[in-house]
Amino acid sequence: MTYRQFIFSQGLVMMAGSMIFPFYILLLRNVGNSYSQFGWAYGLFALTAAISYPFIGKYSDKLGDKKLLLVYCWSMAFLLLFFPIVKEVWHVYILQILMGLLGAVQKNTEKTSLARTVEKESAGKEIGKYHLWTSVGAAFAIIITGYIVDFITVGSIFYLASVLYVISGIVLYKNAKIKIRINNEVNT
Amino acid sequence: MVLKHRMFISLIIIYGLLFGVSIQYYRMDIQNPVVEDSGRLLPVSIKKIESHTEEKQLQKLVKTANETGDKLSIAGMQHSQGGHTYYPNGVMIDMKEYNKILDFNVKEKTITVQSGATWDDIQRTINPYGLAVKVMQSQNIFTIGGSLSANVHGRDIKNGALIDTIISLRLLNPNGQIVTLSKEENSELFSLVVGGYGLFGIILDVTLELTEDELYQIRTNLVDYKEYSQYFINEIKNNPDVKMHMARISIAPDTFLEDMYVIDYMVSENQEEINQHNQLIEDDIIAIPKMLLGISRYSDWGKNMFWSFQKEYIKSINGHYETRNNVMRSSTAFMDYENSVKTEVLQEYFVPIDHFVDYIDDLRAVLETEEFNLINITIRYVEKNEHAVLSYAKDDMFALVLLINQGSSSKEIEKTKKIIQKMIDVAHKHEGSYYLPYFPYPTHHQMRTAYPRTDEFFAMKRKYDRDERFVNLFYEVYGK
Repeated sequence: MTYRQFIFSQGLVMMAGSMIFPFYILLLRNVGNSYSQFGWAYGLFALTAAISYPFIGKYSDKLGDKKLLLVYCWSMAFLLLFFPIVKEVWHVYILQILMGLLGAVQKNTEKTSLARTVEKESAGKEIGKYHLWTSVGAAFAIIITGYIVDFITVGSIFYLASVLYVISGIVLYKNAKIKIRINNEVNT
Repeated sequence: MVLKHRMFISLIIIYGLLFGVSIQYYRMDIQNPVVEDSGRLLPVSIKKIESHTEEKQLQKLVKTANETGDKLSIAGMQHSQGGHTYYPNGVMIDMKEYNKILDFNVKEKTITVQSGATWDDIQRTINPYGLAVKVMQSQNIFTIGGSLSANVHGRDIKNGALIDTIISLRLLNPNGQIVTLSKEENSELFSLVVGGYGLFGIILDVTLELTEDELYQIRTNLVDYKEYSQYFINEIKNNPDVKMHMARISIAPDTFLEDMYVIDYMVSENQEEINQHNQLIEDDIIAIPKMLLGISRYSDWGKNMFWSFQKEYIKSINGHYETRNNVMRSSTAFMDYENSVKTEVLQEYFVPIDHFVDYIDDLRAVLETEEFNLINITIRYVEKNEHAVLSYAKDDMFALVLLINQGSSSKEIEKTKKIIQKMIDVAHKHEGSYYLPYFPYPTHHQMRTAYPRTDEFFAMKRKYDRDERFVNLFYEVYGK
């Protein structure tokens, strides 16, 4: 996984993530109808994330960051397909628990990837650059989505975000292939 | 390598399939919207919502429904609470966009509006010309079509009933034809459509009588419930200067159904000062009443405090001036209530003036034994009027509007139902009646007692609408 591709795929992930988060509340509004339910939905998300961090940390050392990121992208892509069709509050709770788990995978792996890739001497500059590009992606996504919601239904945003996760997954997978090919060439 | 490639391809295929299935579900879902009214106790899945701005389109809609067999229901602001605006798997016609002012004649003091227009739309048009509505609710957020269909009343005490302020209206009937109705023309249908809850067709437009906008001086007083009827007759009804009136009776535990305050609107001697007051009031600041109402929902202590606050407040407005138009546009925003397991429902009971004291004593006896979260009771006056077939004003009556905080679960609904049925019995014992736009708590028998012409009304419905094209949950529960 080259660093540039990592940034690109993470940029897409951030875009997709920030597309759904602010507008996610509109969906909750359709399904649940009280602030305590919002509280529970987000609380469950944070709790699951907290519990899963130690395990994810271990796995990321064993399996490698790239694999975990691939799992993350594809799982999110699949998961998002369920969002537009939820009917009950408990559906939302289950999705939030899964999102919490996956969110933890992303956060942890993002950091371990950075930790393993950047040079210690220029870490500040490089991580700054990383955040710049991923945040730019996120910012544009939020603004554009605001306009899109006016034209299409809230549900459609989840489909768009899901497709972004797929693309991010493909970017990671492709560059994994390139890397393998290069390795093969070197070996032969 | 090949294995990985295959895995990747199959992942893409599975994703594609799931994507398709999800979208299909989603589309089906948004095609069958779930609607509910302001009572939030009767969510129903309907076929679709239709909204039109042209008479021709509405006509086509009715004719198409006659071919396809679709059931139609009509919705305005949906502040009725018994599913009067929708029907399972039916087409709900949302009239809010059908809201043009068609004609306004300052000299004749008349206005013709499409039925989706609100009282607010009318007030904004006529206020600059010094005119005002004759009869409407205390709030102006409702559509004209909805108000007519529920045969509403309000604070006005001198202009009779809403039905008598209608010069004529045009109805799109179940056959797709447009007919003009008034007291003289098609009078039978006219008396069914007003207070007919949308069961006879779509009210397209209405011509209403207007009156002069006047400057009123507010007079407030504290009275004991035992003196209220007398006070009303002497100080209000027989006083030609009092044009509007409302009262509240305490629901606070310390003064439960005893303490009252009245707010009377008297024609001011200084009509030339109207220009200083006739700017329409826009939304008030509502944080304080909203907070107090919030506290009173949860505790007896809060109810006592809110009642004292209200008494202080009405003292402070004594002697103030307000125009007729502004009296008829009071705020309801502070009553908005959001809660996942509870909701707020309304009830309204009518009792003849001379039965008021006995009625209140009996009502108190019922409520003191029950656990029942009553939040507010306002009282207005309705003059005897039986021009509408489903008329509630069998006599000169006080109308008590009760705001009730209740749970949404079926157990809670059942609990409220028992108490409400008892309260209706109390009203009936005193030759009273109850108002129909609310949740179907009353029994069939109670409806027929309150509205002796119920069977005639529903028989007429089937005479004018043989195929039962226009239906709603109210008809489903009481009409069949």
